[in-house]
Amino acid sequence: MYPERTPALVTLLVVCAAAAAYIAVRRPFLRRLALRQVARRRGEAMLVIGGSVLGTAIIIGSLVVGDTLNFSVRQGAYTNLGPIDEIVTSATIAQGDEAAARLRELRGDPQVDGVLTVRAAEAAAVTGADASRRAEPRISVYEGDLVAAGEFGGSADGGSGLGGPTPVRGEAVVNADLADTMGVGPGDALTLYLYGKPTPFRVARVVPTRGVAGVSTGPVSRNAFLAPGTLVEAARAARSTVEPRTVTFVSNVGGVEDGDAASDAVEGKIRAALGPLTGQGTSVEKAKQALLDAAKAAGDGLGSFFLFIGSFSIIAGVLLLVNIFVMLAEERKSELGMLRAIGMKRSRLVRSFVIEGTVYALVASLVGILVGIGVGRAVVVVAAQIFNSFSAEEGGLTLAFNVTPVSIVNGFALGFLIAFLTVALTSLRISRVNIISAIRDLPTGGVHRTRRRWVIASTVLAALTAAAAVPAIADSQGLGTYLYPALTVVLLCPLLVRLAPKRWVYTAAAAAVLGWGLVANTVRPKVLENGSTVTFVVLGIMLTFSAVFLVSQNQDVLTRPFRRFMLRPTPGGLASRLAIAYPVARKFRTGAILIMYSLVVFTLVLITVLGSLVNATVDNEVANASGGFAVRADFNPANPIPDPARTLTSGRFSGAITDAVPLLVAPGKISNVGRLSRPTDTVVIGADPAIAETGLYPLTKRLDGLGDDRATWRAVMTDRRYVIIDQFLGSTGGGPPTMTFTPGQTLTLTDPATGRAEQKTIAGILKSGNGFYGVGGTSFVSPTILSASAATAQFGGQAKLASALVKTAAGVSDDTVAADLQGQFLPQSLVATRVRQAVEKGFGASRGFFQLMQGFLALGLLVGIAGLGVVMVRAVRERRRTIGVLRALGFPASTVQRAFLTESSFVASEGIVLGAALSVLTSYLLFENDPSFAGTGIGFPIPWLSIAILIAAATVASLLATFWPAHQAARIRPAVALRIAD
Amino acid sequence: MQLATDHARALLAAEDVRKVYRTGEIEVEALVDLNLTVQAGEMVAVMGPSGSGKTTLLNCLSGLDDIDGGRVLVEGKDLFAMSDAARTTHRARAMGFVFQSFNLIPVFTAAENVELPLLLGGTPAGQARKRAMEMLDRVGLGHRTRHRPNELSGGEQQRVTIARALASRPAIVWADEPTGNLDSQMAEQIVDLLHELNRADGQTIVLVTHDADIGAAAQRLISMRDGRLVSDERRVVAAGVGDGREDGSGPRRGA
Repeated sequence: MYPERTPALVTLLVVCAAAAAYIAVRRPFLRRLALRQVARRRGEAMLVIGGSVLGTAIIIGSLVVGDTLNFSVRQGAYTNLGPIDEIVTSATIAQGDEAAARLRELRGDPQVDGVLTVRAAEAAAVTGADASRRAEPRISVYEGDLVAAGEFGGSADGGSGLGGPTPVRGEAVVNADLADTMGVGPGDALTLYLYGKPTPFRVARVVPTRGVAGVSTGPVSRNAFLAPGTLVEAARAARSTVEPRTVTFVSNVGGVEDGDAASDAVEGKIRAALGPLTGQGTSVEKAKQALLDAAKAAGDGLGSFFLFIGSFSIIAGVLLLVNIFVMLAEERKSELGMLRAIGMKRSRLVRSFVIEGTVYALVASLVGILVGIGVGRAVVVVAAQIFNSFSAEEGGLTLAFNVTPVSIVNGFALGFLIAFLTVALTSLRISRVNIISAIRDLPTGGVHRTRRRWVIASTVLAALTAAAAVPAIADSQGLGTYLYPALTVVLLCPLLVRLAPKRWVYTAAAAAVLGWGLVANTVRPKVLENGSTVTFVVLGIMLTFSAVFLVSQNQDVLTRPFRRFMLRPTPGGLASRLAIAYPVARKFRTGAILIMYSLVVFTLVLITVLGSLVNATVDNEVANASGGFAVRADFNPANPIPDPARTLTSGRFSGAITDAVPLLVAPGKISNVGRLSRPTDTVVIGADPAIAETGLYPLTKRLDGLGDDRATWRAVMTDRRYVIIDQFLGSTGGGPPTMTFTPGQTLTLTDPATGRAEQKTIAGILKSGNGFYGVGGTSFVSPTILSASAATAQFGGQAKLASALVKTAAGVSDDTVAADLQGQFLPQSLVATRVRQAVEKGFGASRGFFQLMQGFLALGLLVGIAGLGVVMVRAVRERRRTIGVLRALGFPASTVQRAFLTESSFVASEGIVLGAALSVLTSYLLFENDPSFAGTGIGFPIPWLSIAILIAAATVASLLATFWPAHQAARIRPAVALRIAD
Repeated sequence: MQLATDHARALLAAEDVRKVYRTGEIEVEALVDLNLTVQAGEMVAVMGPSGSGKTTLLNCLSGLDDIDGGRVLVEGKDLFAMSDAARTTHRARAMGFVFQSFNLIPVFTAAENVELPLLLGGTPAGQARKRAMEMLDRVGLGHRTRHRPNELSGGEQQRVTIARALASRPAIVWADEPTGNLDSQMAEQIVDLLHELNRADGQTIVLVTHDADIGAAAQRLISMRDGRLVSDERRVVAAGVGDGREDGSGPRRGA
C-alpha cells in the first residue's frame, strides 16, 4: 500500500539511520557505551524492543489488509477481463456494426493485440423439471466467433477462457459459474429465456470462468455463448425495443495487468476511430483501468481504515516506549550522573541514547514485520468470513491473502521512524540529569520554572492558535475546531502557572480541553460532518489525554472516598494505602499508563457502543432503506415487465401488492462535486413520480426552501435540475462516508455512452441508499435519483426500465411476494430483493466488522497491559529497599504482594473506567447531536454486558500481567533488599 | 549456669549463632558461634572494621536474615523456631529499625511513615495518628508532620526514622549506622536523641557504628572481628539505664 509514500519514508529512514551511524563511527566511545548497554541489560533491551514491535506490527498488519483487498479485487482482472482492456458498447445493432467496422483499423496498431466484437444481452436460465428444476433469473448471453475469441489477446486461448469451435444453432457454451449454478454439463439441456421466449439449448462444453468467458461489467459472471445470429433473431422475433448490445473488446499489448499502461493512449485511438459514434450512444470504457483503480481504492480505503483504528494502539505503543525508556534512564541515573561529572556533555549523552535507540528501533521493526504479517493474516481470515457471507451480486468478494514488498518497506520504515523519534525525543528529556542527585541517587525534587523565553514563545503561539481557531470554529472545520482551542489552552499554561498555582492551572486547562472536546459537537453541530479520520483520532487523543491529566492532578480528591478503607489497621487497608500512594505520587508514570489504557478502552467501548447502536437501528434502517417498499423487483431491461405499476398490482398480485413504482436505470458518472478527484461511477435511477406519493425515502439533509422530505421528493420529480444522492457517493473501503455533500451543491452528471453531461443540484441526501444498491442488476455502486423524465431526457435509450419498487399489502409477507414475483416473471429475469433481509445481512456484516475491529484494537490493550507489567517489574526493582524496610517493620510477604496487585488493579481500573466512561459519554453526545436519530424513537443503547465483559477481561488480564512481579516483590528478603553490607 | 540465668532474664539472647554466606563454591563465615545477651534498657554499640560481621549480627539477631546455626531469643521466644509470618508479626510488635539511608517510604508523609508500624500492629487509625504526632513532636518534628521525605533534610529524615522505630514502643531498636549519611552536627544531634530516648524512656537500643565517639558514649561496647565478639565492655552511666518508665508510655521491657 501507498507506493507513492515509499520514497519519502525510505529517505527519512535512511537519514535517521545514517545520522546514528555517523555518530557511531565518529564517536567510538559513544558507540561502545551504547552497544554495551544493549548487551549488558538484555532484559531491558527486550522490553524496549517488545514495546516497539507492536507499533510496527499494527502498521504492517493494516497495510497487509489493504494489500489483500487490493489483490483480491484485482483478481477480477484475470477472471472477468483477462486480456480485455477496453470495452466499446453500442446500444443498437446498426451502430454496433458501424463501430465494429471502424475499430477494425486498430488491428494493426502496435499498442493493440486484439479486437473482438460480440453481441450481448441478459436472459434467464432454466434446467430440469419439477423437483430437479433449477432457475437462474439473471445470466449474460453472448453471440460471436469463439475461435476468434479463443485467440483474442495474443495467443491461442491466451487467458480468454474460450477455446474450441463456435457453437452451432441450438448449442450453448457455458462458463463454469453458470454450469455450477444450473448443475449442467456437456450434453445437458438448458432453456434460456431470450427476450422473454423460452429457447432450448444443449450445452456444447463448459469453459473456465476466465477472461472473455468470465467477462462481466456488472456483478454477475454467469455467461452463455451462443451461435452467431441467435440473439439478433430472438430480439427481432420478440419485437423488442431493446436490441442486443454490440460489444467490442480491445486488448492492449502486454499482460493482464501491465496492458493497462497503454489504456489512455488506446482509448484516444478508439475514440478517434469511432468518430461521431461516441456522441451517439457508443460508450468507451477503460474497464481494466477502472477495475485496477477500484482495487487500489478499495485496498487503500480498508487499509487506511485499519490504520486509523490501529493509530490509537500505535499511540499507546509510543507511550509504552517513552515509559520504558524513562525507566531505563532512571535505573542508569547514577551512571549518567558519573558520565556528566567526568565531563560528558549532555548532547553526547543524547547521541549515545540515539545510537542505542537506533539498535532497538531496527531490531523491533524487523521483528515487527513478522508479527505484522501474522496480525494481517488473522484479520484477513476473519474478514474473509464476512465477505464470504455475501454473493457477488451483493458485493461479496473472495479474499486472497497478499503481502506486497511496498507495504513491508513502508511499514518497516514507519515503525522504525516512530520508535527512533520517540527514543530520540525521550533522550532529550532524560539526559537532563542533576549530576549530584543522580550520583547520590537522591530525589531530584524542586520545581523547574519555565524559562522566560519559552513562556513568551508559547504565549505567542497560543495567540496564533487562538486566531486560527476563530475561522475554524466559524466554518465548523472538524480538525481545526477541536485542535486549535485545545492547543491555545495548552500553550497558555506556561504563562498561567506564573500567575496562579500550578495545580489550579493544570486542572482548569485539562477541564477546559476535556469540556471542549465533549461539547464542540453540540456547539457546532456540523463539525464532524467532514468525516475525516484525523479529526476522530485528534478528538480521541484530546479527550483521553485531558481526562487523564485532570485525574492525575486530582488523584488525592478522587481517592478521598476510599480513605476510611485505607486507614484501617488491617493488611488490606495497609496494602491499599501503599498501593494508592505510589501511583498518586508518580504522576508521569501513572499518567502514561492511564493514557495507554483509557485511549484503547475508549476506542474499544466506542466501537462496542456503535455496534450496539447499529443493532438498535435495524428497524429504523429498514424503514430508511425501503421507503415503505418492502421489495425491489429487478428485471431484464431487454424484456421488461410491461407497465409494472399496473402489472404488479393486478391479477394474482392484486391483493398482495398495493403499489409498484417503476424505475429507469442507466449507468452514469458524477464529477465536479466535493472532494471527488475523478469521475465516479453511479447508477442513475429515473423514478416515477409515484415514488414521492406512495412511499417516502427519508432524507438526512434537504435543500433549504424545498420543504420537508416529501416536498423535496416532489421537487425532484418535477424539476429536472434536482437530484437526490447517497451519502456514500465516492466512498471506498469500510467505515463512515469519506466525503460530505451538502444540498445545494452542484454536480456534473454524465452519460458515459453519449458523453452528454448536465449540471444538477443536490436537493437531498438519502438517509440510506441501501434500497437502491444493485438496482436493475447493476454493479454495487452509489445511486443518484432523479425523475424518470429527467433521466430519459439526458440518457435517452440508456435509461431502461429495469426495476420496480414494490409495496406489499399489510399483513402480507415480503418473502412470499418476492418468491411469487421471481417465479411468475422468470422470463423477464426478475430478481426480487427483500429490503429487510438485505439490511439485516448488511448489519450482520457490520457486526462482524465491529468484532474484527475490536480484535484489532485488543492489540492496543495488549500494549497497555504489557506497559503495566513492565512498570510493575520496574517498580519492584526500584522499591527493593522500601520493600525491605516494610518487611523489616513487620509487613507480611502476603501484604507486600497484595499491595502490588492492588496498585496495578488501581491503575488499570482507573484507566479502564476512565476510558469506558469517556467513551459512553462521547458516543452519547454524538448520538444526541446526530440529526439522523432525531425523531426515530431510538433510545441511546448502552451495551452494559459487553462493556462489563470488556472491563472484566481487561482487569483480569492486567492482574495476570502483574502477578509475577508482585510475587517477586513478596519473595524479597528484607536483609538482602536493604543491602546492608559490612 | 550464670549464662542460662542471664539468658532467661535477657531481652535478647543469642546462643551459638552461626551465619555462613555462600557464593558458588566459596563459603564465608560471617558469624562464628556467637553468644550475646542484651538486657532491657541497655544501649549497646557494636563496632568493628568493615567485614567484621556487624550488620550481619544486626540482621540475624533481628530476624531479618536467616541463620545457619544456634538460636536467637527475643523476649524469651526463639525467633527462628517461628514461621516467617510469625517472625514478621513479632518483628512488628517488638522491634524498631533505624537505617543509615533512612529508608522512609517516599510516597508517605512523615506522619504516615511513623504511624505505619502502629497500623501494622493493629492500632486504630486515630490512635496511630495521635501516637505518630506525639513521636514526631518528641523528636522535634512536630511542625513537619505533613512533609514527604524529599521535603526534609537528612537529619530530619533520620529523626522521622527514629520516631517510626519507637512509635510502637518496641522492646528493642536496631540502628545500623544511623549517622552514616549525616554531617557531624546532624550526627551529634541524632546520637544525643538516641541517648536521650535510652535514658529517659529506658529504650533498649543496639546500634552498629563505625564512629568511635558514638561507641564510646554507649553503656556497652561490643567489638567484633571476623564474625566473632572480641570484646564486650560495660560502663556505668550516670543516669537512665534501667530507668525506664513503668507507666506504659515507655518501651516494653521484655519477658
